[in-house]
Amino acid sequence: MTSRASTKYTRNAIWFVAGGLLLFVWVIPLIWAVIVSLKSESEVLAYPPSIFFEPTLQNYRDALFGGVSILPSLGTSMIVSTATTVLTIVIAVPAAYAFARLNLRGKKWLGFYTLATQMVPPVGLVIPYFLILNKVGWLDSYQGMVTVYLTFSLPFAIWLLVSYMEDIPWEMEEAAFLDKANRFQTLWYVILPQVRGGIAVTVIFIFLNAWNEFLFAVQLGGNTVRPVTVAMYNFVSVEQTLWAKLSAAALVAMVPMIIIGIAAQKQIVKGLTVGAVKGGGRR
Amino acid sequence: MTIRRENPAKFNFKNIARRSVLKGAVSGAALLAAPAIFSGRAQAAGKYMDLESLRGANIDWRQAEGAKITIGVIPAGYFKNLEAVLPDFAELTGIDARLEMTPPGQIRQKAVLDLSSGTGTWASHAADPMYYPLYVANNWVDPLDGYLGNGKLTDNSWFQYEDILAGWRGVTSVDGKPYGIPFDGEATIQVYRKDVYDKLGLKPAETFEQFMSNAEKAHDPDNRLWGSALRGFRGAGQNMYIYPSIFRAFGGEWFDSSGRMVVNGPEAVAALEWYVKLLNNYSPQGVENWNWPDIADAFGQGTVASYIDAHGSAAIIANPEKSKVVGKIGFARWPKGPSGKRVTSIWNWSFPINAALSDKDKAATWLFIQWAASKETQAATSYAFPGAYKRTGANRTSVWGLDEYKAVLSAAGDNYIAATTESFAEDTDVEWRPRLPQWPAVGDTMATAIQSSLVGQSSVTEALNEAQRKIDAVLKG
Repeated sequence: MTSRASTKYTRNAIWFVAGGLLLFVWVIPLIWAVIVSLKSESEVLAYPPSIFFEPTLQNYRDALFGGVSILPSLGTSMIVSTATTVLTIVIAVPAAYAFARLNLRGKKWLGFYTLATQMVPPVGLVIPYFLILNKVGWLDSYQGMVTVYLTFSLPFAIWLLVSYMEDIPWEMEEAAFLDKANRFQTLWYVILPQVRGGIAVTVIFIFLNAWNEFLFAVQLGGNTVRPVTVAMYNFVSVEQTLWAKLSAAALVAMVPMIIIGIAAQKQIVKGLTVGAVKGGGRR
Repeated sequence: MTIRRENPAKFNFKNIARRSVLKGAVSGAALLAAPAIFSGRAQAAGKYMDLESLRGANIDWRQAEGAKITIGVIPAGYFKNLEAVLPDFAELTGIDARLEMTPPGQIRQKAVLDLSSGTGTWASHAADPMYYPLYVANNWVDPLDGYLGNGKLTDNSWFQYEDILAGWRGVTSVDGKPYGIPFDGEATIQVYRKDVYDKLGLKPAETFEQFMSNAEKAHDPDNRLWGSALRGFRGAGQNMYIYPSIFRAFGGEWFDSSGRMVVNGPEAVAALEWYVKLLNNYSPQGVENWNWPDIADAFGQGTVASYIDAHGSAAIIANPEKSKVVGKIGFARWPKGPSGKRVTSIWNWSFPINAALSDKDKAATWLFIQWAASKETQAATSYAFPGAYKRTGANRTSVWGLDEYKAVLSAAGDNYIAATTESFAEDTDVEWRPRLPQWPAVGDTMATAIQSSLVGQSSVTEALNEAQRKIDAVLKG
């Protein structure tokens, strides 16, 4: 018995070490960025890299409150990403429900059509979007940017949510109908609590995609709408790269994502548990 | 309150790491607002410049009053300085001109997108000189001779277009007609460690052979000193920025007598072999990924004994906050190639006029361009700029001759000004890179060929033959 326990112990230890090593590979750039962000520009390039140095928060101060502060851009990114996420969920949830539950004519075709926009490489869409937004007068505007972001967030969200909704046992809805609930009430009171985890996952992905988007932001934005991904280039000029400030700005830009990730994680776990307790549905 | 300009006579690279902070895109003007600097002048003085001198031009600066224009630029110190002095332009002209900072990697695409769709989003933009053939072939930008020759729009006795560096005018013109007005630019020059060269009894190279042998002698990787470095990163503005100088100095011609572009001739092979040999033998590992900031950073850390790159890189290596080799730097012109020629780069950011604009906006844009390229604004954004960063790429012969400008530059190191101005005057070559509308594709193809022979993916001959095949296809289609 002891030998079996120790074998198990060894096996766990090996997995732990292997996992740790693997994780290390991915975490190192992040740790490196944190260290760099606390150094002065001259220390960044020192060889061998200095391990002991006087940490400074100056880079953060410069990135946030300096002449090329990224604060306004963080605000812009926040508005664009939040609006995109909210609108996406508001539209995608009923749409996904319809795809999952209703017997629509041409459902298959519609489903494919929804995904079709995802098949075009974004670069191919820049020119048409640019021309359309210009015609409407929405270049470099919030409504323009959010509309464009919706074009790729919606199909993704709908398809993701459909799979979650299809997993919910039909009987639950039937019970609701028997209690004289209408479609909307069923969706609201029965389906939504069940797909909470799915919505949380969708929110993370949509927000993250919008937050990190660069191609459309740079081509369709401008002085009014200048998300943080574009603004960060202020530290990468043709003349030199200000590594320390760039790292500081990048880390600051990560903060909202981390917060949303943590908040959403709770919902994801909850969603999983709900399914498990009810003992059905989730295949 | 009096705010004095710090060390007006010194090359103030000191606070350069903070310069992007100091000259911020949005609030920079406010930060730097130091009206007292010129408080000695009459009320006619703007915040940064003497507007009276500009008003001396015999044109109506207010003819396009009320116009709103956006100019796409890159986030670089010289444009941030220009942005900081923009309020003076608004005061002079009543035109609301705004700069839109766009990352260098995207500005060309965005400009082409705008120009090709005729939207007129950017009235003007910081243009890559290599793109003019493409712009002109499509009539996307206006020829500027009509503007220069129009007495209502231009007072050339004041503006003096001919004062702008000749090579720069050449490369922003197509078939003799100007299409862009250069604002800021550079030449490539030889940079070396004086202390290392002195110790080894070396002199800055006069020929390509000497450059190679200097690199060999200074090469001491065990002590973390590599002989030399050039741009190895793949890109039309990276390795295809340095290779053309070598190719031309080897006597290469981009086009044969029938006008066909040839990139795999014997000169090309010899030039690329020289480049590959130098970098593979005497450059640090990973040089194939180096663009010029990497080179300057390495030189500043004291790990590279020589390089050839833009004169503006002095801003990094002579900055005591970033560099360990301040005071040990020497400069010289390009060495002579086997053909006897020294060939420097001609790089500049210039301003064209978007042909899709209304007449009023065109006039406003021209006034902006004329103002930005004028001697007054060149001075206000370089040596006279109150922030820590002083531009080093002034566009005019007369500005390069000014003592104040020279005083700002001379601290960079030995022979800096002479090497740069002589390069401008003697070593510029308008045919330095192949000027044709298909440049974006051609430049990319060449960049790939250069890098694949540098990393040993293919031999020099194979790489160039492959590039020739692709270029033939591009030019046929």
